[in-house]
Amino acid sequence: MPYLGSEDVVKELKKALCNPHIQADRLRYRNVIQRVIRHMTQGLDMSGVFMEMVKASATVDIVQKKLVYLYMCTYAPLKPDLALLAINTLCKDCSDPNPMVRGLALRSMCSLRMPGVQEYIQQPILNGLRDKASYVRRVAVLGCAKMHNLHRDSEVDGALVNELYSLLRDQDPIVVVNCLRSLEEILRQEGGVVINKPIAHHLLNRMPKLDQWGQAEVLNFLLRYEPRSEEELFDILNLLDSFLKSSSPGVVMGATKLFLILAKKFPHVQTDVLVQVKGPLLAACSSESRELCFAALCHVRQILHSLPGHFSSHYKKFFCSYSEPHYIKLQKVEVLCELVNDENVQQVLEELRGYCTDVSADFAQAAIFAIGGIARTYTDQCVQILTELLGLRQEHITTVVVQTFRDLVWLCPQCTEAVCQALPGCEENIQDSEGKQALIWLLGVHGERIPNAPYVLEDFVENVKSETFPAVTMELLTALLRLFLSRPAECQDTLGRLLHYCIEEEKNMAVRDRGLFYYRLLLAGIDEVKRILCSPKSDPSLGLLEDQAERPVNSWASDFNTLVPVYGKARWATISKYQGAERRGPELPDTASFATSGPLIPEENKERVQELPDSGALVLVPNCQLTAEYFEKTWFSLKVAHQQVFPWRGAVHPDTLQMALQVVNIQTIAMSRAGAHPWKAYLSAQDDTGCLFLTELLLESENSEMQISVKQNEPRTETLNSFISVLETVFGTIGDIKS
Amino acid sequence: MDGWSGDSSHQHSWVQRESEAGQRSPPKLRPAAVFASANRAAHLEASPLRRTHLGSHLRAGASAGRRKRRRRRLPALPPRLPGPPAATMSASAVFILDVKGKPLISRNYKGDVAMSEIENFMPLLMQREEEGALAPLLSHGRVHFLWIKHSNLYLVATTLKNANASLVYSFLYKTVEGEDQRGPKRVYYSNVFSEYFKELEEESIRDNFVIVYELLDELMDFGFPQTTDSKILQEYITQQGNKLETGKSRVPPTVTNAVSWRSEGIKYKKNEVFIDVIESVNLLVNANGSVLLSEIVGTIKLKVFLSGMPELRLGLNDRVLFELTGLSGSKNKSVELEDVKFHQCVRLSRFDNDRTISFIPPDGDFELMSYRLSTQVKPLIWIESVIEKFSHSRVEIMVKAKGQFKKQSVANGVEISVPVPSDADSPRFKTSVGSAKYVPEKNVVIWSIKSFPGGKEYLMRAHFGLPSVEKEEVEGRPPIGVKFEIPYFTVSGIQVRYMKIIEKSGYQALPWVRYITQSGDYQLRTS
Repeated sequence: MPYLGSEDVVKELKKALCNPHIQADRLRYRNVIQRVIRHMTQGLDMSGVFMEMVKASATVDIVQKKLVYLYMCTYAPLKPDLALLAINTLCKDCSDPNPMVRGLALRSMCSLRMPGVQEYIQQPILNGLRDKASYVRRVAVLGCAKMHNLHRDSEVDGALVNELYSLLRDQDPIVVVNCLRSLEEILRQEGGVVINKPIAHHLLNRMPKLDQWGQAEVLNFLLRYEPRSEEELFDILNLLDSFLKSSSPGVVMGATKLFLILAKKFPHVQTDVLVQVKGPLLAACSSESRELCFAALCHVRQILHSLPGHFSSHYKKFFCSYSEPHYIKLQKVEVLCELVNDENVQQVLEELRGYCTDVSADFAQAAIFAIGGIARTYTDQCVQILTELLGLRQEHITTVVVQTFRDLVWLCPQCTEAVCQALPGCEENIQDSEGKQALIWLLGVHGERIPNAPYVLEDFVENVKSETFPAVTMELLTALLRLFLSRPAECQDTLGRLLHYCIEEEKNMAVRDRGLFYYRLLLAGIDEVKRILCSPKSDPSLGLLEDQAERPVNSWASDFNTLVPVYGKARWATISKYQGAERRGPELPDTASFATSGPLIPEENKERVQELPDSGALVLVPNCQLTAEYFEKTWFSLKVAHQQVFPWRGAVHPDTLQMALQVVNIQTIAMSRAGAHPWKAYLSAQDDTGCLFLTELLLESENSEMQISVKQNEPRTETLNSFISVLETVFGTIGDIKS
Repeated sequence: MDGWSGDSSHQHSWVQRESEAGQRSPPKLRPAAVFASANRAAHLEASPLRRTHLGSHLRAGASAGRRKRRRRRLPALPPRLPGPPAATMSASAVFILDVKGKPLISRNYKGDVAMSEIENFMPLLMQREEEGALAPLLSHGRVHFLWIKHSNLYLVATTLKNANASLVYSFLYKTVEGEDQRGPKRVYYSNVFSEYFKELEEESIRDNFVIVYELLDELMDFGFPQTTDSKILQEYITQQGNKLETGKSRVPPTVTNAVSWRSEGIKYKKNEVFIDVIESVNLLVNANGSVLLSEIVGTIKLKVFLSGMPELRLGLNDRVLFELTGLSGSKNKSVELEDVKFHQCVRLSRFDNDRTISFIPPDGDFELMSYRLSTQVKPLIWIESVIEKFSHSRVEIMVKAKGQFKKQSVANGVEISVPVPSDADSPRFKTSVGSAKYVPEKNVVIWSIKSFPGGKEYLMRAHFGLPSVEKEEVEGRPPIGVKFEIPYFTVSGIQVRYMKIIEKSGYQALPWVRYITQSGDYQLRTS
């Protein structure tokens, strides 16, 4: 172990380095130095030979120089006084005839990271900026940033900044890019490098000459530039067009972002850009490098949020291959879930079903959840697949399927019947807390349709003493009480036993309190229990429809090609919150960033303010069943309160429409059959104040518009407007699914 | 093609569409507005090249800002555009770790992240893996770790910035990963480290740490990628002892170069160019025999041994070109390439104008272009398999392979790997051609056939014993994989029609072409 004899090693090396015989033999000398570096790499403290190493820097051997300088950069912060001795040699090397040596010395000198070095490096850097070798200029330009970094609070040197701005015209492409990087670092307090029109145009013209790193960098800096006119903007887009198809994924992403930001006022251009980069993105998604593939998949998901149908025809590209790592498979499943449409739903579900029986439990469960996601739109097919999966009697599958069912029944009530039929027998294959809770909830809420529900719950009650999860016991209490309301005879005894256990024996206070609460509630009489337990619930389905609405491209364009989509927005928020809290300590808030983020917040708020009254004021009651006669009578007795046309394409699928309307608690009274001309439908809905909304839909065959007429039995404009917007959401959503 | 340049031309331009109220009009192509020909665009391109003119602008703009700033520092800023902060790639440090997470070598570029942060990496990775949430991006506190795994090494870049992820990964890959590892033979292997040692792994890092340090020093400065072109890097790395004797090292020519990818003053006795047209077939077939995915990824790779600054022009039987020149007669076979990407040396404006591929090539190996073809083709080697598992006793495997390509062509080095259960034993094989081998560490039988002519059909049977006590854990269903290489043949039918080499010294140079089709990700799922 090298760690043990550390002091001996240092002593021995010190001796060797001082040995004049070794110093005379260059090869041996270098070998000793290599040993020093090797030990340093292994983590040994080699600072003891600093003095000897400084001496070794005076050599013509470039490799030896590199090694010694590397050593110095590592230990200079530990031995600042000794490091100053090396400055002399370094300064001399900065005027060596060989540009390699000049560059190396300058780079090392700027990387010394110790106090007081600034005064020595200033002149060599200035000389380096005017060096005839581009290699030295590259180093010198970044050296300016390093120098500034050593003394962050020192005044920005105006002359130096000017010099760097003028070096943007340098012949060497890397010098140009380094200038931008350096200026950005130096001028960070003032908001970074200024990209004005001449600079922007100059950079645009240099783009083809840069390597991929430079191109990506410049594309990023160009985000700052705001073209003066539309013409200029489109000229820039034309110039940069070819970079959308670059062979480097980093450049493609960078160019995409720039296009999206520049064209922020032209949504159709943004869409066109995304169409253009489809090919390169897909290629990146099947890239050999898994990490690039992962990053691309994350961005594909981002795009899908705004353009749901964008990758639908390429769904096969997102099928998982056996040997792919987990994180790619999970992303692909998510993508598949999002790009599903009428044409590919069969194949996608088939493929996902294959994943559900994967050996990796995590992956299998992700696939099942994905099917659950698709089930919100294609309920019947998915419920069937999920039911079949229950037949496998695998623990990790059953529990996830039941959880999926729970969410599904909540969101798509029309599948309740099928789910209830599938449930019996599941209880044998569920062991974990989440699965048990889901099953118990389902049994409690829909127990009247499941014949053996009380007996399954009874089994749970019998084993309640050995139950380790309090959440399961709580769920059990609620479920049993609910079931007791619909099937009292079968549940009374069990409920009594459970309540007794919870109040007398249970140690967990939350469970105990819940038990006591229900007990006292029961004392208040059964009607009271019903009133409390079965009072109307919040309706999640409206939220579902709103969720599906497309997010505008501009909402994520500025995050594109950063770490945000790769982490996922939610995770990024927690990470950056943590980072923000840490950063706020030493540094003062940056005024520039305040100025930029200022106008964003009110804008967001404005949207929220507009939305809130909509969803807050109108609550449509479920199960408002009007008879056709009553509807007809009311319809003719009222005047049309509102008339509007919605854009509509193609034929109507009455089932889809009816389902979607049902989700938002709008009942269909009558409807023409599919394909009829003109096509008509009558709808009714009622809000919690008893106000009726009667609606007629009319689709003339030659028009691409749906005409709606709404009548209201109490004239109140604000609820009417909310109702119209609900209808709008529904039509918008159906339109999406179709297209 | 995309909707807004409906004509057959591949050129297009970004123009503002007049939008009618609420309706999306079909896009209009502004006549002659392609950037090379449009007057305004040309002006845009030309103006900065007039150096005096531009120079004064640049200087005026910049120094005006500065003058103000010097007087009163903060408030007198020129009006800031509300642009996002530049969040490009900037790595604080780069580490190479062994499989246990111990740093083998590291380079601290910026000094803004403590080098000890890397100690958090491995525990974090393990924790994530356990949670089933492993991703190539981890974060600890304010530090982001972007990492890739290469053989038994981890390459990790740490950064504080909200960086450009794909760029960082590209950079890490550039240093370690070969370009073509999929085919049966590595046709080319060009990356930064491989120029100096064959395989990048723990041992080679330890043995060559001086070179690795040198390379890390040149690849990046202050966390920004500098030169990553392996040919040009070679000029900076003085690695051998023999250079020591001369006392002075050669002055690298690139120090005064305008074209970043080629040095001046290259000399060869014999001027030659080798062109490899390589098409990889990716295939995914479902267990029921339906083709889920079939695509061809083509690359044209060049090995250039040319003196001076040669100007090369490559002609292909590209359909779009034939249509442009009116040559699309029945005689000329042409192919339609999708998603074509070029090496940065290719003048894209010329390609957009008249589909000429003209360029000054880098020295040595490089990938000139890549393309895709997603037209459905018959799988070149079709596999039918029956894997019957009799629990507690035996597994019987029957595999039929059929060459579905032209009779004149021959596939070489065919390797068909068939999965077997991990607890199988006592293998027995019977093959109509080639040999079969059991590879227990990978749980596969590999059936190798040296040469497999088109149209032929071969058969292999394998028999394995199974232990009477069944294993606890369930096994996955790995697919059957096929590797092959068919020389003198491309699926797409792409052809190099000419390669013109022009250099001002006027030497004669010879271009050589070869065509290979090989297996890419070629998988057939088993039931």
